[in-house]
Amino acid sequence: MSETAVQRRPRRRIIVNKRIAPYVFLAPFVLLFVVFLIVPLIYAFDLSVFKSALVGGTRFVWFDNYKRAFTDANFWAGVGLLLKFGLMQIPVMLGFSLLFALILDSGVVYAKSFFRISFFIPYAVPAVIATLLWGYMYGPAYGPFSQLATAIGWPKPDFFNDNTILPSIANIAVWEYMGYNMIIYFAALQAIPTDHEEASLMDGAGAFIYALRIKLPMIIPTIIVTIIFSIIGTLQLFSEPYLMINLARNVINSHFTPNLYAYTLAFTGQQYNYSAAISFVLGGVVAVISYAFMLAANRGVNK
Amino acid sequence: MTIVGKTKSSPGFVRSRWLLTGVLGIYFIYTFLPLIYVITASTKTNPDLFTSFGLWFSSDFHLWQNLSDLFTIQNGIFLQWLWNTFYYALVSGLGSAVFATFAGYAFAKYDFFGKKFLFALVLGAVMIPQTALVIPIFLLLSKIGLLNTPLAVILPSLVFPPGVFLMRAYVDEAVSNEIIDAGRVDGAGEFHIFSSLAFRMLMPGVTTVFILSFVASWNNYFLPLVVLNSTEHFPVTVGLAQWYASAVSGSGGSLLFTVVMAGALVSILPVIIAFLIMQRFWQGGLGAGGVKA
Amino acid sequence: MAVIALKDVKKTFGAVNVIGNVNLEIADGEFVIFVGPSGSGKSTLLRLVAGLEDTTGGQILIDGADVTNLGPAERELSMVFQSSALYPTKTVRQNMSFGLEVQGLPKPQIRERVDRVAEVLKLTEYMDRKPKALSGGQRQRVAIGRAIVREPVAFLFDEPLSNLDAALRVEMRIEIAKLHQRLGSTMIYVTHDQVEAMTLADKIVVLDRGDIQQVGSPMELYERPANLFVAQFIGSPKMNVLPGRTDGNAIAIANNGAIPLGSKAPDGIVKVGSRPENIALVPEAEGHIRGTIDVVERLGSDTFAYVAVEGLETVTVRIVGNAANVGVGQKIGLTFDPQQLHLFAADGKVLGR
Repeated sequence: MSETAVQRRPRRRIIVNKRIAPYVFLAPFVLLFVVFLIVPLIYAFDLSVFKSALVGGTRFVWFDNYKRAFTDANFWAGVGLLLKFGLMQIPVMLGFSLLFALILDSGVVYAKSFFRISFFIPYAVPAVIATLLWGYMYGPAYGPFSQLATAIGWPKPDFFNDNTILPSIANIAVWEYMGYNMIIYFAALQAIPTDHEEASLMDGAGAFIYALRIKLPMIIPTIIVTIIFSIIGTLQLFSEPYLMINLARNVINSHFTPNLYAYTLAFTGQQYNYSAAISFVLGGVVAVISYAFMLAANRGVNK
Repeated sequence: MTIVGKTKSSPGFVRSRWLLTGVLGIYFIYTFLPLIYVITASTKTNPDLFTSFGLWFSSDFHLWQNLSDLFTIQNGIFLQWLWNTFYYALVSGLGSAVFATFAGYAFAKYDFFGKKFLFALVLGAVMIPQTALVIPIFLLLSKIGLLNTPLAVILPSLVFPPGVFLMRAYVDEAVSNEIIDAGRVDGAGEFHIFSSLAFRMLMPGVTTVFILSFVASWNNYFLPLVVLNSTEHFPVTVGLAQWYASAVSGSGGSLLFTVVMAGALVSILPVIIAFLIMQRFWQGGLGAGGVKA
Repeated sequence: MAVIALKDVKKTFGAVNVIGNVNLEIADGEFVIFVGPSGSGKSTLLRLVAGLEDTTGGQILIDGADVTNLGPAERELSMVFQSSALYPTKTVRQNMSFGLEVQGLPKPQIRERVDRVAEVLKLTEYMDRKPKALSGGQRQRVAIGRAIVREPVAFLFDEPLSNLDAALRVEMRIEIAKLHQRLGSTMIYVTHDQVEAMTLADKIVVLDRGDIQQVGSPMELYERPANLFVAQFIGSPKMNVLPGRTDGNAIAIANNGAIPLGSKAPDGIVKVGSRPENIALVPEAEGHIRGTIDVVERLGSDTFAYVAVEGLETVTVRIVGNAANVGVGQKIGLTFDPQQLHLFAADGKVLGR
């Protein structure tokens, strides 16, 4: 059949063998991954098993630093504080995100796209600036809340005392991430095929019941993922309290959150070894809590 | 999907529509409170900040003056910060998107030794508190001697594990095995298949990853705070935070308050505008990533 | 021109043996069809020939040369995929040119070849469209065009018509047959549809669970199946298979009667097969076995009677034309043409008659 049988030999060019190809594709990412994720971790771990003092230099101390961390009241106070914080903030944030996502998804409100876009904007704002802005707004001198209070004759609200500092910071976190979580729930809800909706209409369920009893359970895996990421994020809290130190000097101390503690130890106290150990213990706490939650959630889902 | 089209527009129904819209409206006001504040505060003079109502403008429109102060204070360091932020975010965004795409493609389309292990490792990396890495990275960079350089911020930001997940899921969805086989039968080498066939099909996903990484880099605070100490390398986050700290503690002079507000405004505007423009593209991608993450 | 030979080809995925020991020769210009149920390994076998999968053992030869370690393009084969697998970001023209560009052919030559093939396949007015602007049938024609343009040694088809609707499938089947006539190239075609196999093939290879059951022309497979599997796979409606026993000069059908043969029945009969067209409906007393008509299907050109026989599965009988006198509930006798019986031993193989 082929009239041009002669000139069929393909020209030489570099053919990446099917077997090597994946490694080549992965190489840049893996290289960076190892250098900037694995190596620092190994290095930090290495640091954490040493101790350096002015007298005696650097010596290998097995897990002394870890023992110290496990009995360090400052560290655990920070963890406890974050757990309290998390219990306060996560249900509120995710609960409202879910509610608003359901409302948006139901298609019942006006200006759907407008809301969807605007709710996501806080995610675009850096945490630093969000904290900055809310810091200003909480301010007794020129914050609108204080101004309003004075205008009505109420005492100025104190956002920075022992009782109110957690809710104040929680508010910032909620403001920052509610839109993000809402969009995630919204996308998940939108992905549910419409046949279910029609089937439930045939079954006589109204929009509200349908949303609650059918759609909600269908996005439980998504909800679990957001909870886990919220837990992980909460336990790492740093920027917001750090930036508010000057506003609430008496309340936010150097060990307010474990990350803040590690930071202070490293950069103010020059205790790099102990700081590394604290970071690892924090990592361990995060892993344990996330994992425990995942197990509990899976058991609940598979009941 | 909506149920709206299916039910009658009875007065009761319309009433609940308005009610729910109102509920969202309240949340909208909450969302925009700080943004209104930053806009109005940027337009005031410092004394006005204290005297006029926080959420509305004062009689004195001082925006241009504040802006000019913003860009001239300390020899125009703010402009330098803006440029730094943009530069870091652009390079990190592009680099991490490309690398994540390569890696996602490899995970999605090939079987190779160590695949499961590596993927589990990357998954574990997402779980690691980002902040737990910063101090070790600082120590590592210090050893290499890269501290206080742009690379100190860019290089770690090129690693974007969520991008790998997103791209893997996206590649699975968008590029069928048959097309790759067709390319192989046509004689194209693996990389040629990727660059001239697959990559173009992946553009929406790549764009999503780029935007996510860009925003993450733009908003990054902890990493640059730790690895940089000369102000000329600061991104806006670190620079503004420093101004803020000195404004609050009173050492910077009270002029800084309004300038900080103006700086905040200028630094969030580009990202918000970029978001609004790009939101068409990543809407689906982000959702997919969120569900599958 | 091309002889494709498979020698002792094996393929395992992990512990699973997907292709057993396959030996096959394909002559130049032959239209060979691999057919079998899903999971039979027919697509895997095709992909092994294509070079998209590596063999676990054995050799593949094209034109006498060992190509076992060569990739698909180096083997100079073209493939048409089930989903057409057109490159979505490229136009029809670019899709068809891609392989030639990779080979490094000069542009004018590429253009000339692509235009020629496009004309033959009547694609000329679609050249600048992208795949998503084409219908399923058009896409498959472009896929075929892409394959032809490379002037390969042989064409491979992986269930190309499975994604098309019934009417289109018939149309495309005829086009492929005409294509083979015109080009005269060697073609290897995979399908699970035995109608396609019967109508298109010069040679059919029947596969079951990784092993070749029989190789032969369509008529050979139809009239002289080598085993039970092939007998029941080829032919629609399926061949009727009844349990039977050697009984002197006849075959005893369980509890129901016997089919007399002209001469002594071979030993070791376990099952007896007869195609629907080789069974006649007769008055009850005259039949070899007796039953009751359960369902009647009238297609106009044929009538199918499904007869319930006690102790046995339903027997399908074909009557040409519209058999008006056949009705549900009738008690009827069945006679079997002794020349057209297929006798099966316990291992499923056919016994000589």
